[in-house]
Amino acid sequence: MFRLFGYFIEIIRGILITARHFIVNMVFHILNLFGIKTKRKGAFTIQYPEQKTEIAERHRSLHRLMKREDGKPRCVACMLCETVCPSECIYIEATEDPDPEIQKYPSTFIIDLSRCCFCGFCVEACPEDAIRMDTGEVEFAQYNRKDMVLDLESLLNEPK
Amino acid sequence: MVEIFINDRSIKVPEGITVLKAAERAGIHIPHICYHEAFAPEGSCRMCLVEIEGHLCLELACATQVKEGMKVFTETENVRQARQGVLEFLLAEHPMDCPICDKAGECTLQDYYEQYGLFESTFMEQKERKDKNVPLGKGLILDRERCVLCTRCVRFLRDITQTEELGVFERGVYSEIGIFDQRLIDNNYAGNLTELCPVGAITDKDFRFKTRNWFLEKGASICPLCSRGCNIFIEHHPGFARFDVPKRVYRITSRVTSREKDQKEKGYWICDIGRYGYSYMDQDRAEKIVLKQGDSALDPKKAVTYAADQVKKLIYKNKLNRLGVISNTWLTNEELFLVKKIFTENLESQKVFFPTTAQREADDLLLTSDRTPNKKGAQEIGFSLEAISEGQVFDGTELLFVFWASPFDLDQLTGLMSKIKEVQTKILFTPFEREWNKDFDLVIPTAVPAEKAGSFTNEDERIQHFGPVLYSPGQARAEWEWLVSLGKEIKVDFKSYARLSSPFDVFQMMKKKIKFFGK
Ligand code: SF4
Ligand code: SF4
Ligand code: SF4
Ligand code: SF4
Ligand code: FES
Repeated sequence: MFRLFGYFIEIIRGILITARHFIVNMVFHILNLFGIKTKRKGAFTIQYPEQKTEIAERHRSLHRLMKREDGKPRCVACMLCETVCPSECIYIEATEDPDPEIQKYPSTFIIDLSRCCFCGFCVEACPEDAIRMDTGEVEFAQYNRKDMVLDLESLLNEPK
Repeated sequence: MVEIFINDRSIKVPEGITVLKAAERAGIHIPHICYHEAFAPEGSCRMCLVEIEGHLCLELACATQVKEGMKVFTETENVRQARQGVLEFLLAEHPMDCPICDKAGECTLQDYYEQYGLFESTFMEQKERKDKNVPLGKGLILDRERCVLCTRCVRFLRDITQTEELGVFERGVYSEIGIFDQRLIDNNYAGNLTELCPVGAITDKDFRFKTRNWFLEKGASICPLCSRGCNIFIEHHPGFARFDVPKRVYRITSRVTSREKDQKEKGYWICDIGRYGYSYMDQDRAEKIVLKQGDSALDPKKAVTYAADQVKKLIYKNKLNRLGVISNTWLTNEELFLVKKIFTENLESQKVFFPTTAQREADDLLLTSDRTPNKKGAQEIGFSLEAISEGQVFDGTELLFVFWASPFDLDQLTGLMSKIKEVQTKILFTPFEREWNKDFDLVIPTAVPAEKAGSFTNEDERIQHFGPVLYSPGQARAEWEWLVSLGKEIKVDFKSYARLSSPFDVFQMMKKKIKFFGK
């Protein structure tokens, strides 16, 4: 009996919290409507995905590999990103470049997005500024894991 | 013995050794680049400067001999500044290629900068450009920008191999390492230069750009490619969670044991055959037990039972003289001992045959003419290798056990195949997937030396123990495991096998039975 009583109390408390949010936000919205400046703005809902917010400047989104002026990858396959990556989602194989100024470049560069935790360590670690996470691309859900694995080609030519 | 003081600590050292060595004995590290234990001091890098009381200027620790009552200081402000200065000059023209330099992670210069440098560069000028890809022969590549002119490489080729292919050309700031007139390095010890070079100036094609050395794990093992049995590290990639690395073993490096340090010219090096001959560990490995009469999934137990049943059949028919064994000296002491125990002692077969392996050219440094690791061991265990001839082993043989662990010497077994095929039942123990495997009734996959524990007896009668570095693939197990289970299953001498659960146990048994191993 007593327990049942507690159950009703919780429901009432929940209703009160919702009501508080409703009233507080409504007050702010009404004040704003009359042009009165308040410290806080009323909460609002965005109709995602039809409507989108702007992404902050320092965001981390889908990776891309930078190119040199002649279109070759800027990456020198130093594997520091592979080393630092806490999710072990980068895999690189290096080859010899005939150009003695470059020497080493990646023949394989794979990022497995299904493992990536978007920490951005790879970007921090890169001594060549060759990898960035600034494409603004945040929607890359796929139907299977295989499609979440990006290779050198797609990393270089991102975003579409 | 003389008494000296290093940083006010008194230590007693033998007369005539250098300050650097004395400090090392006291556990004090004095940074050095050009000095290498195997050579006489050169004194070209100036990294080892220390302060000695009563001396006007700083002294080279690598070249100064200790004197009674000498007071050495390795951490004073003067020394610290001197080290920084030396490093600053070394790095003034250094390309800072670390991201693409294979030495990064184990580079002396990198380590010393971290420990003793940490200054801001004050050089504003453009760095001098030099050749970055000079082929030196035997797959070695010289990067002149990275070279710190320690001349270790020159001294190695002059003092150890005595082939003198490299030299210092030009003078002063134009000095550079080079070969004379396109005469490329061509000796069996060239690979040591990559390890010897304190920086990434000499790299080899075999390892170049394949991986980064901090991914690799080092496992101590013994090189099985000749009877010298050099001590090595097998550096292997443990793999990534999501991606397959193309191979496990990336390089072999030398492992210096204190025992070998005394023999300067020998202890520090390994030959190129051992250094670059590691691909067999990953290539063509047999992973599954294969029974010819098509029982697809054969578990190890059934395989051993099958083999033991064949032996038992002969026992019942009282025809044990129809049992033959082809063994080889790639097996460890323990395994050869088990072969002897099972086949010669328990089953009283006289037909344990060792095919003669081709003798190849030796050189006067390390490489021996016998390119199998354990011939001495086999002899000490009591096999006389030439006593049984090829004819005898096949004479009337109905059941043949073949142990074939060598990745080379393929001709030897090919030569015997026509005769082996005629034997009624034949069982093969091998780590490799080869053409002839299909001719055997039962193929049991085994481990290569890097994957097993045991010991080899080398040319100089030294028993060298080693442990497993890699996992054996699939159903493969070391021969000793198979032999112990076989010994149990045959049940002639069940008790003594039941006690054996590791090569160590086998070795304890050997120690009691054979005087040589009991020493
Ligand atoms: S963001 Fe983090 S987890 Fe993702 S690839 Fe870079 S280092 Fe790895
Ligand atoms: S850290 Fe940069 S240069 Fe190095 S492998 Fe990664 S992307 Fe390439
Ligand atoms: S030699 Fe050492 S310091 Fe020089 S580039 Fe290579 S790793 Fe860096
Ligand atoms: S190549 Fe290496 S070993 Fe030879 S002098 Fe230069 S730094 Fe020393
Ligand atoms: S180590 Fe003493 S001068 Fe180079």
